[in-house]
Amino acid sequence: MSEQVTKQEPTAEKDFSLNLEDIRPRPVEKRHLSEYFMPRRHSFILFHPDRCTGCGTCEMICSTRNTEKVAPVSASVKVVRDVKEGKNFSILCQHCRKPLCLPACPTRAIERGDDGIVRIDSLFCTDCGLCTMACPAAAPIRDPGSREIHKCDLCEGDPLCVKHCPENALTFTRGKAFRWIKGLRWTSQFLSFLLLVIIFIGTFCYFKAGSVSFACPTGTLQNIASTGAIVLVGVSSALFLLALTIVAGRFFCGWVCPFGFVLDLVDKMIPRRIGWPSLLKSRMTKYGVLAGAVGGSYALSFQVFCTVCPIGTLCRSYGVQSFFKSAELAIVPALASLEIGQRRAWCRYFCPVGAVLGLTALLRMVKIVIGAKKCKKFSCIQCAEVCPVGIIDADELRAGISPKVSMTECIMCMRCIDRCPYDAAKIRFRWQKAVPGEVRI
Amino acid sequence: MNPFQSFYNMKIGVVDLSASSAEVFPLDEGWIYKHLGGAAMNAVIHSQYQGEPIVFGTGPLTGSFAPASSLMVASLKSSIFKRLCHVPLMLRTGPDMKFSGVDYLVVKGTAPEQSLLHVNHGKIQILSARNIEERTVPEAIMELRKVSPSFQSLIINGPAADRGVPYASVSIGSSGSLDKVGLASLMASKKLKGIMFGGMDGLHFNRENPDQGKELEKRISAEKNFKNRGFASVLKKLDSGKDAIKYFKAVRKKDMACYHCPSPCMTHVVFSWQSPKGEETQSSDDGLLLLDHTGYLALAKKVRKNVLPLLRSCLRFGLDPVGVAEMLREGGILPEYLDVLNGIMMEDFPSTTVAPVAKEPLEECVPPIQTWDSWEERVALAMIIGVCPIFLLRFPQITDVTLLSFICMREEDLKTLRDGLLSAISSLTPA
Repeated sequence: MSEQVTKQEPTAEKDFSLNLEDIRPRPVEKRHLSEYFMPRRHSFILFHPDRCTGCGTCEMICSTRNTEKVAPVSASVKVVRDVKEGKNFSILCQHCRKPLCLPACPTRAIERGDDGIVRIDSLFCTDCGLCTMACPAAAPIRDPGSREIHKCDLCEGDPLCVKHCPENALTFTRGKAFRWIKGLRWTSQFLSFLLLVIIFIGTFCYFKAGSVSFACPTGTLQNIASTGAIVLVGVSSALFLLALTIVAGRFFCGWVCPFGFVLDLVDKMIPRRIGWPSLLKSRMTKYGVLAGAVGGSYALSFQVFCTVCPIGTLCRSYGVQSFFKSAELAIVPALASLEIGQRRAWCRYFCPVGAVLGLTALLRMVKIVIGAKKCKKFSCIQCAEVCPVGIIDADELRAGISPKVSMTECIMCMRCIDRCPYDAAKIRFRWQKAVPGEVRI
Repeated sequence: MNPFQSFYNMKIGVVDLSASSAEVFPLDEGWIYKHLGGAAMNAVIHSQYQGEPIVFGTGPLTGSFAPASSLMVASLKSSIFKRLCHVPLMLRTGPDMKFSGVDYLVVKGTAPEQSLLHVNHGKIQILSARNIEERTVPEAIMELRKVSPSFQSLIINGPAADRGVPYASVSIGSSGSLDKVGLASLMASKKLKGIMFGGMDGLHFNRENPDQGKELEKRISAEKNFKNRGFASVLKKLDSGKDAIKYFKAVRKKDMACYHCPSPCMTHVVFSWQSPKGEETQSSDDGLLLLDHTGYLALAKKVRKNVLPLLRSCLRFGLDPVGVAEMLREGGILPEYLDVLNGIMMEDFPSTTVAPVAKEPLEECVPPIQTWDSWEERVALAMIIGVCPIFLLRFPQITDVTLLSFICMREEDLKTLRDGLLSAISSLTPA
């Protein structure tokens, strides 16, 4: 959209009615090859409600660009002042990755540019106002004077409101083109897969090099149950993973587990999920599976679950030497197919290894905290959306309540921290009380 | 070229409530050059009209990119002081009046029934206010939001003014105001319930002003004063203000600013209190914007820890806390204080009663912070130019020339403007 068009004087003769000939077909979304590897930049303005004093400078300066006048009602940013609670909120376009205003526009006047900025082309805009209804943040704003629709276009990459805010309550972010936690996690998962599945086959279940040994804790429990004997070396070998869990929570599940890596890969390939039956939505099931595995091992005198364990079968059967040689091969794709129903469905509901680590995580030293007060009023809830195990309550966030993140379920993937544009998700020590944004002003 | 064309609509609205007429006239350019605006201009306009007019006026910088450009001044012949008094009205009413297309508004005569004014698009409408008569301020605002034409801000009288209580004080939104000279009473005597500002037109702006404003903000942000913000920072500078701070120290609070103010001097508090009517079980959270320093102080001296719930009640009824404090005894309990407040509301006050409140009108409105050589001159400068007086008192390094340079950068014009400003200041301040 050119500058010339944006600064057109509103004309009294403009016809605001929407006619059939105005409706334009939606163009085919073209995606450049590079976008598959590096997503488009997501530029937007962050609002810090704790800093805003409600002075309205942002509205003033924004209106000068929209109308060449100081007229706060014509601004593309709105400060909403809650008189009772004493809170200020901004209504501001977030330039969403998948903007809802875009498909709602019948004249296709809204487009998302290569720079990630969502713009309204005033040449095509008929001011019908459907975008204002479609946007969850009500960001396209109708000018009560001229009746035209205004929407933030980030001042073409140099937002005036950010520059003039005396409290720095608005900050401009050009988006994180590369999320470092994501990069580290994928690297760690890939290396773990390489080591445990391809190079050192079967080492997850039991590994011994000199005096150093490592064993799967669930396998060790089953071993004790099946043999009826507690072997000190076996128990101490299992302690490594438990100690890691006490220090860093279920870090293993998010960063090391080779089956988790497979599930994350499968997740990338699934275009649409079919949902998960609510009857099977109990997270306690995995503790039942663990109890069944231990009980079964005791009754049958062999490690029952290990024969079908997806992590074990992956490590034992998919190595270079044993590839396609085992009947266990079917277990991994069968369990990975659960991803069609829900992300990390196996980890959420069934994995007994996760159950042991979850119980151990009761003694963890760290926790993830999400400060709802650091979010916007219209919470972006990106943390809830990216959480692979679905433990962040989006409704609580929308209500402005900091959600309690269950650390027995959290796999410490830190996607929420990586994604949060407001720095509201943090790792804290267990004994730390402060939640981001909830300190007294 | 008229340097004021970016700062004024050059329009004055005249409302005759007796004749139910409202007209908008062009403003005399010569007056603006001579008196600049604000309180000085109001005084001149006031002298031109008969029938105890109230003049609402903005300064040249009101609504501009000068920091804290939020001020509107209401000028009236006070029944308490028996002379012309000026009331600073902050928050957003000043800019919104300008954005509604009128720079000055004269209200004269008496309406046949309770009326409201709605100013927008350079026009003034007289509306009936029967539906909000006797309602508390928040209730009245909620009703107006539902039924009246849309508005950005408003000045409104509470039920106290409707009942002729002499301690009535006008309220900006539901936040109260610094009215301690009888503006609410005079409005009530004219049967003027309030004024709503649509604020939909806007004002042409000087392209250099945003950068000038930013530059000035940067300069003052280096000052020590800049970091001392909020309601408490001003209270600390007043006599016995430090003691009064403790009454809102423990509650949830947030600093709030008026229009385009980089250094907030108001604080919004959310506090819990036990409702005496509902016995012990009923407690509620209430929010309150603390903006009236002298009012808070006067009330805190008497009622101590009960100051917040009592102040809230004062704002709901549209009562001046300084006047209410006169009626209360020290060392009482909250139910007793609320009974006194209800008594004030129920009592049939004769119209001749005046509030025994003020010693000096402006000192009652603007806290006497001694940071400049002459408090009077500093406040007068603010009241003429349209910038918050508390802000100017807090930042003595902002001179009259700095403010005038927003209007005009040329040296010879600046000199002429300054001469006009100095004479306007001297006309407002006692010798």
